[in-house]
Amino acid sequence: MKMEEMSLSGLDNSKLEAIAQEIYADLVEDSCLGFCFEVHRAVKCGYFFLDDTDPDSMKDFEIVDQPGLDIFGQVFNQWKSKECVCPNCSRSIAASRFAPHLEKCLGMGRNSSRIANRRIANSNNMNKSESDQEDNDDINDNDWSYGSEKKGAWGSGETWGQWGSCLPSLSNDQVFGHNLGTNLHSPFPCLCPWLLPFPQTPPCLASPPGPLRCPQHTDEQRRTVRIYFLGPSAVLPEVESSLDNDSFDMTDSQALISRLQWDGSSDLSPSDSGSSKTSENQGWGLGTNSSESRKTKKKKSHLSLVGTASGLGSNKKKKPKPPAPPTPSIYDDIN
Amino acid sequence: IVVSKMNKDAQMRGAINQKLIETGERECFKELLRAKLIECGRKDQLKAHCKQVIKEKRLEHITVDDLVAEITPKGRALVLDSVKKELLQRIRTFLAQQASLED
Repeated sequence: MKMEEMSLSGLDNSKLEAIAQEIYADLVEDSCLGFCFEVHRAVKCGYFFLDDTDPDSMKDFEIVDQPGLDIFGQVFNQWKSKECVCPNCSRSIAASRFAPHLEKCLGMGRNSSRIANRRIANSNNMNKSESDQEDNDDINDNDWSYGSEKKGAWGSGETWGQWGSCLPSLSNDQVFGHNLGTNLHSPFPCLCPWLLPFPQTPPCLASPPGPLRCPQHTDEQRRTVRIYFLGPSAVLPEVESSLDNDSFDMTDSQALISRLQWDGSSDLSPSDSGSSKTSENQGWGLGTNSSESRKTKKKKSHLSLVGTASGLGSNKKKKPKPPAPPTPSIYDDIN
Repeated sequence: IVVSKMNKDAQMRGAINQKLIETGERECFKELLRAKLIECGRKDQLKAHCKQVIKEKRLEHITVDDLVAEITPKGRALVLDSVKKELLQRIRTFLAQQASLED
């Protein structure tokens, strides 16, 4: 090897040139051979002729360079007036408005009219007395539709909490002395909700204040029940707004409670609809002057009972009340 | 004498080729040549020529030997003079470099 290297350095120029030419020829042939392999592979794999197209199609797909046309030769703003047909309502809507329309029409969006329509349809089924329709998101929530469903209308524990505070120590049985659940047809319409499972809200024992007033019964019916339970002397005082309603003392409340218990322990069941109890009731109701249940709006429910108790205790500041319509007629109606 | 000289020449060429490959110069030259040839458009010309050749023969019956026989003369002829000169110059410098290294 060493000897050959020495000979390389000792070569003259012509020899060196010949060697260079030879190397060059080798290189060119190499590249040609590589190209041939490439072409051969392309031919055998079938992608060699992919890129040559006939001149006709080349002319067809020539790039258009004219003002007002895109590169395909089309008018580029033709989509401005494009209209899409809604698959739901089959109206044709401008393409730019199609997505918002679809949102509303298919009922996917928040403010979709379909949801609104459903709500309207549902609220028509609901009772008119429902006050919080717009706040009521659950369309199946019929708890507050009082008239449509008798059961459960007074079943809200919240309402009971308000009423329960005025009758803390009395159970339903104590007060009314009847079997719960059997007397679904009470002569006193206000008592119907009481017969539903406990806890129930006592209805119109005292006329409830404005917002809690039972929507089903009139003031007269309420007064009748009140007289029935609290006795003939249970006349509601006409309470002025200046009246001190907080002057609730224990003796009055004890009197009231004992009276209530007495009422309950007697077999004056309101559920005995058809019999002699009714005459007793009528006798009770007769000759009683009940007050108009005109009250100040802000009065709490228990304050009305307090007012009653204070009325029992012969409290001061009573106003002459207007005479009530005679109660027997009401009982006649009931029976 | 002649035979020994021929033998010596062959030995010398083998040694030079070995050197070319060992130093990586040969790959360098090849890459340079390919780039230059693509640059000056020889590849496209050769491709067009290939298509003619393949269309003349049947597509399925073409072989690498056919292609080489058809393409190589054309490819050799299509190398530009400037590319040829540059490549030769680089080969010469390489040879000179090797000779001086041996000294």
